[in-house]
Amino acid sequence: MALRTTTVPAVPAVPARRLRLPRDAALGYAMLAPAGLLLVVLVGYPMIVAFTMSLQRKLIGAPVAPFIGLDNYVTVLSDPTFWIAMRNVLVFAGVSVGVKLVLGTAVALTLNEAMPMRGVIRSIVIIPWALPTLVTVLIWMWMYSDIGGVFNHILMGVGAIDEPLLFLGHPVLAMVSVIIVNIWRGFPFFSVTLLAGLQTIGAELYDAAKVDGAGIWARFRHVTLPGLAPVMAVVTLLSTIFTLNDFAIIWLLTRGGPGNATDVLSTLTYKVAIRGLELGKGVAISVLMLPLLLVLIVLLTRFINKREETA
Amino acid sequence: MNQVAHVDATGRAVRASTRPVTSVPSSLRRERTIKLVLRSLVLGFTGIVVLFPLYWMLVTAFDPPTLSYSAKISLVPTKLTFAAFAQLLREYPFITWMWNTLFVGLASTLAAVVVGTLSAYSLSRMRYPGRGVLSGLFFLAYLFPSTLLIVPVFVILSSLNLTDNYFGLVASYMIFTVPFCTWMLKAYLAGIPPELEEAALVDGATRIQAMLKIILPLAAPGVAAATIFAFTLSWNEYLYAFMLMTDSDKMTLSPGMTKLVFGDIFLWGMIMAGATMMSLPVLVLYFIAQRFVVSGLTAGSVKG
Repeated sequence: MALRTTTVPAVPAVPARRLRLPRDAALGYAMLAPAGLLLVVLVGYPMIVAFTMSLQRKLIGAPVAPFIGLDNYVTVLSDPTFWIAMRNVLVFAGVSVGVKLVLGTAVALTLNEAMPMRGVIRSIVIIPWALPTLVTVLIWMWMYSDIGGVFNHILMGVGAIDEPLLFLGHPVLAMVSVIIVNIWRGFPFFSVTLLAGLQTIGAELYDAAKVDGAGIWARFRHVTLPGLAPVMAVVTLLSTIFTLNDFAIIWLLTRGGPGNATDVLSTLTYKVAIRGLELGKGVAISVLMLPLLLVLIVLLTRFINKREETA
Repeated sequence: MNQVAHVDATGRAVRASTRPVTSVPSSLRRERTIKLVLRSLVLGFTGIVVLFPLYWMLVTAFDPPTLSYSAKISLVPTKLTFAAFAQLLREYPFITWMWNTLFVGLASTLAAVVVGTLSAYSLSRMRYPGRGVLSGLFFLAYLFPSTLLIVPVFVILSSLNLTDNYFGLVASYMIFTVPFCTWMLKAYLAGIPPELEEAALVDGATRIQAMLKIILPLAAPGVAAATIFAFTLSWNEYLYAFMLMTDSDKMTLSPGMTKLVFGDIFLWGMIMAGATMMSLPVLVLYFIAQRFVVSGLTAGSVKG
């Protein structure tokens, strides 16, 4: 019940009371300074370097990097591979996040019921999310394998297929396979967070709905869903941002292949910048993802601020 | 399999028995059964989906290793051996990789928790011009795509001769641990009512004393959660380690493990043995600290 103790007492009127604490600007800035300076050096500076590089013909190993304006962006935008990667990343993120939301909600609703060993079950559900991504990817790569892979073994054993499927070698199947791994890794985050959201919905709302004769579905539709919607929005946006940036799962499983079938913007960036030695052009690819991310981040900030106001 | 069949059977039985009666007790009973069916379905499905890959990792790791993994597959282990583990430890500096990962993880976590606690306190408790904007910038840094940062970070660290260097790797991990700790602790602190602190100030304590003696003890679960999360993020990190560490003796687990994979032969027994050892510390940490983890996660994303 750790959840309850930390979420519920949080609500009462913090903003109004905060005014009573004395104003202490100098100390405030001083306490913020170490983290702030670190981020200026570690995030701000590389960001400026990235933007500068995207305007240069910057090659690995070349001594000079001439300024070429927006040439890198023009090249990237007129390259069909970029648009394939853009479409792929939208499919990858859209399907992954959609399934994670549904699965995560189902698991959260289940765990919200009283049942024996709930704590243990909850710990088990968190496992995929706690596991190192690399470990997850290696396990799935081994299960997907056409040589000795357990999925092919089972499918052939029950007679569903005659010869091994190339889970990572067929364009559509490869996309499905990487999406499944992303879902496996990501749904626990939805479950745990939505479970915490569920526990803030008052039992009296459910009792009232029951008295009014609402069935399971009606209660879900009119009590649970509205109560959970704000948390859902926040988790979904967060997960979308992280899924759009995913690199390790796709890179390790398929290298963006076969062909460009599973290339997303992050793998394309790596291929162009590091493998292809064209740093400037590679960085331009990931800069082009920023507008979409910024929209999501602004939306997310709004949702969070709204929650803080209503809380 | 058994579970699914059982669930189907009850589902059918319920529909048949409730059709003629419409009184309250039977509708309640019906609802209870529907819930039970749904719950069993979700739990059974999730259980299999979550646990099977782990089971398969362990089976492969403890099976006697062979060169050809195509010949025989058995869904239950035939014989348990530590041969794959022994081979891994003999042929690769796996233990060194683990120590390196531990060291880098602890360094980037401790630094991040200290500066993150200070900045979180400042952002959630002090009032000064620009606080909202600064708070937003920390959030932005937390969500900023590492795929955009990795190329410039790689270029900068190369030019400073800091690749294959722990200082460089720890610094690059602080790119995500610092904003993460700040953000999470800020959310946690927002849930602690300021009355206690006010009282301490009225009694003549300084701001720093109030923070250290009153707020920090109350925020301990949040700090614990932030520590565990930041450490796990570092331990599990792949991209920066893969790009920055190429020297086998200095490597951390992520790039080290990929050395096992991208040889010409996939020795799955050994790879899964490595995967087991890499997962164990974080899983143990999560089970021990579950209470903190869940409450911390909740503070971070539910309350925002």
